[in-house]
Amino acid sequence: MKKTGLVFFPAFDWAISPTHPEREERLLYTRDQIFEEGLMDLPQITEYKPRLATKKDVARTHFCVPNVAGQTTEAHLIAAGGALVIADALMKGEIHNGFAMVRPPGHHAMRVVHGNRGFCNINNEAIMVDYLRHKYGIKKVAIIDTDVHHGDGTQDIFYHDPDVLFISFHQDGRTLYPGSGFTNEAGGPAAYGTTLNVPLPPGTTDEGIHYVLDNLILPVLNEFQPEIIINSAGQDNHYTDPLANMKVSAQGYAQLNQKLAPDIAVLEGGYAIETALPYVNTGIILAMAGLDYSHVIEPDYNKNQLVQSPEKTERIKETVEELLAVWKQRNKIELGVLAHKSDFYQRQKTIFYDTDYIHENQVEKVRLCYDCAGYITIMSQAFHHNDRRSKVFCVAIPFNACQRCYNDAHNDYMNAVRSEAYDYVYLQNKAEDVYRIFTNVGTKKLEEF
Amino acid sequence: MYIGIDVGGTFTDAVLIDKDRVISKTKFPTVHDNLLLSLLEALDRVTDQVDNSLIERVVISTTLITNLIVQNKYEPVALVLEPGPGLNPRDYPFKEDTFIIDGAIDYRGRQIIPLDKRQLDLTISEIKKKGYRKAAIVGKFSGRNNAHEIEVGNIFNRAGIITELGHKVSGRLNFLRRAATTMLTVATRDEHVKFVDTVNKAFRDRQITAPIFILKADGGTLSLEDSKKAPVETVFSGPAASTLGAMALSPEGEDTVVMDIGGTTTDLALILSGKPVLASKGATVKGYYTSITSYAVRSVPVGGDTAVAVKGNDIDLLYERKGPAYCFGGPYPTPTDALLVLGYYSHGNVEAAKEGLVKLAEPLGCDVKTVAQKILDKFSQSITGAIEDMFLSWEQEPAYRVWELLHPTQIRPQNIIGVGGAAPGITQAVARLINCTPVIPEHAEVANAIGAAVAQPTLKATLRIDTGEGLYTVEENGNQGSVSKFSSFREEDAVRLAKEQLLKMADDLHVPVDTGSVEVTHSEVFNVIRGFTTTGRIYHVTVQTPRKILTRLYKQGGQDA
Ligand SMILES: [Zn+2]
Ligand SMILES: [Zn+2]
Ligand SMILES: [Zn+2]
Repeated sequence: MKKTGLVFFPAFDWAISPTHPEREERLLYTRDQIFEEGLMDLPQITEYKPRLATKKDVARTHFCVPNVAGQTTEAHLIAAGGALVIADALMKGEIHNGFAMVRPPGHHAMRVVHGNRGFCNINNEAIMVDYLRHKYGIKKVAIIDTDVHHGDGTQDIFYHDPDVLFISFHQDGRTLYPGSGFTNEAGGPAAYGTTLNVPLPPGTTDEGIHYVLDNLILPVLNEFQPEIIINSAGQDNHYTDPLANMKVSAQGYAQLNQKLAPDIAVLEGGYAIETALPYVNTGIILAMAGLDYSHVIEPDYNKNQLVQSPEKTERIKETVEELLAVWKQRNKIELGVLAHKSDFYQRQKTIFYDTDYIHENQVEKVRLCYDCAGYITIMSQAFHHNDRRSKVFCVAIPFNACQRCYNDAHNDYMNAVRSEAYDYVYLQNKAEDVYRIFTNVGTKKLEEF
Repeated sequence: MYIGIDVGGTFTDAVLIDKDRVISKTKFPTVHDNLLLSLLEALDRVTDQVDNSLIERVVISTTLITNLIVQNKYEPVALVLEPGPGLNPRDYPFKEDTFIIDGAIDYRGRQIIPLDKRQLDLTISEIKKKGYRKAAIVGKFSGRNNAHEIEVGNIFNRAGIITELGHKVSGRLNFLRRAATTMLTVATRDEHVKFVDTVNKAFRDRQITAPIFILKADGGTLSLEDSKKAPVETVFSGPAASTLGAMALSPEGEDTVVMDIGGTTTDLALILSGKPVLASKGATVKGYYTSITSYAVRSVPVGGDTAVAVKGNDIDLLYERKGPAYCFGGPYPTPTDALLVLGYYSHGNVEAAKEGLVKLAEPLGCDVKTVAQKILDKFSQSITGAIEDMFLSWEQEPAYRVWELLHPTQIRPQNIIGVGGAAPGITQAVARLINCTPVIPEHAEVANAIGAAVAQPTLKATLRIDTGEGLYTVEENGNQGSVSKFSSFREEDAVRLAKEQLLKMADDLHVPVDTGSVEVTHSEVFNVIRGFTTTGRIYHVTVQTPRKILTRLYKQGGQDA
């Protein structure tokens, strides 16, 4: 019998600040519940020790400004490393699925990182996906973001990648941070339809998310046929979560994991640390291990209080219809039409870092390429609250880069270095797994690893 | 003078120690259906030249409880569990009759579901109808609040059922381990009490008035009388005895692998920075994890009597015993024969050993000495692999703090100490393979008894103090009490409270404690924040008496005793 792997890294000595929701106490009661339950002793479960993700593991996914060390504490590297430990165990065939119950979380961290957004600095799942692709040659990946917040960081990182299916359901962005994740955000021109966002009305219940699961997520997964399914497992849809307004229960979450059957789940948010987390985490672990979770019930659970109005049900059905239509048309978007207008697809973004109070402006360009995923350049300028500014240029070469993209990307990188217009210039060469940071601040310096 | 007696599965060993010298020692085969007789025989042999009034202390390590459990020689116990929310009780591992009752306590010790008295009455009649006299009563999170267990216990006792409560057995988190341990405690108590009373009487008959202790799996001692409260703590004291014995016979404060070579198995244990390594999971008894703390030991299925045969162009260990060694008239050549031929062992018939090895040497076309060396190498390799494995799994122990992960422990031993009959040759061979110093002490053959003789009581108090709930609990004895809910409660107060509880425990167990030597071994604080205000603090504090042994018998550079 292959087991369910667990990495439990509660980071009992790390917090954003003493009273921040992301603090030492967050997984304390989860620890108590799963230890008292004796889950680690069960023959179906095996516990792994996390490790630190390396600078290179992070640089494969992110452009950290000024560098990886500048954006990560050890806790971040261990949380990401915890996900990598599970990924390795899965790929070595030691486990049949695994759950990295780690903090700090990561799904709001985008490709370029100037600071902390939504409690996240680096994106644990994205780092794991890039690691799986680099180390094990995995191509098609599905990430299902079940956190109440839009997984905007993960979306940003895989927006142009047709081989990564990213589906996020969340409380409607008009009513909740980060304010994005609408149905029209469906992927770049070369990856249209492989990003699907399901904004849900506040007050959505187990019934609502299971409707989305049964009618959208599972059928789409079935068609997409990923090699690996990842649950970006936020727990803040819970009816007691202080940061959101949804009505999902521990049973709802456990059932979701049973049906979704993710290969790997990575913990994201969830801030009802007493009333939800101990129960939701226990439920998820039991579901993943194929054990009966029907006895995992919150003390104050009352089914009658967790009902969804018919009007909300109707809205959810409409959203699902709309997204199914997007999914069905995904191959009809003619890359050629767009490419005809210009060789590059360009988008401008303004990004706000709520925790660190940074405003960022970005111009992102993607080569529309018939032979590979296309290289990406990002010009990014950040305005910090203390008037500090930084201007950086980033070049990303995809794993499967064609020769033309590879050469052009290098040229763009060299031109940016020569121009002296940027504080930092980055080259992320995933094709050769080589990463460069050129520094223009103070003495000019080049770091390669 | 101190006496140590180890009533082991194969041999009963005893030693009499004066200061750091072994005055007398004995070793003879254990009489299986009469452990008491074995114990007393060993006692009489080591004390026959001394005045019994000079004996200051006796420590016994025995397999009595282990045997009772393994051989099912106990009255069946009803398991009464209060699981609350979580795993479906259907998936629990217990083979015992299990009765589930309503009610629940949560992780902060709050009642979330009250008890159902009517249901309890029904449960009691059902238990009686099935013929049980005894019950183990265990609630989830009873270590955080014992109120339900106490109430259920009282109701059961009034109904004439003999009970044990989970929180008294262990307050550490792990409901299933606690349930198993509580069940074993009720199950074995009567037999253990009988044993204790007979031992006491036998010692009185011999005019031995010295205090008698019993060795626990964690290497600590309990007075014989107090062991009646926690009989299962005495299971697996054998490995603890051999580890402590090795400690007394090896260099102080260093990293040492302990290798106890028996007839068919070799047990390994680790001493790091002079302290034996404890197992992270509780001891496994009858296939159940328990909350009994024990040393981390690993058993390799090879020993002095392991049969050896030719396989292909090489020899192979058969991982089983086919009888005694050739040198003692057995049917198959063994590592013991190899050691004898190579001159590392001095019992048995050398000619017979050679004869046995010729049977292996001939088909391989080599001489007897070469074959003997091959056997020794194979043996050493299988042990070396297990040692390496032990270190790896020890390094892989989970860590829950950033600090722990940044300070990884990667230690390889400096010494390897071999105890047991076949120790000398094998210890040297293994030491060469893993590149460390072999320690082959004198008296190694009675190391277990030495370990018992030098064991000391160890006391530890682990407190969880929740100022938000105004409650503290002690893991080791299930005590609980209240603390002030005010934020004026500080870490110093937590440590003071922990030390107070330790001294109370010492009092209950009649262990003298030097207050100045009590050390804080673990301390952490969590702020309990609701909204953006601190509504309390949770402290985890562990204080303990220093873990020392009574005396050391290791002599630098030699075996001059
Ligand atoms: Zn989401
Ligand atoms: Zn969230
Ligand atoms: Zn290309």
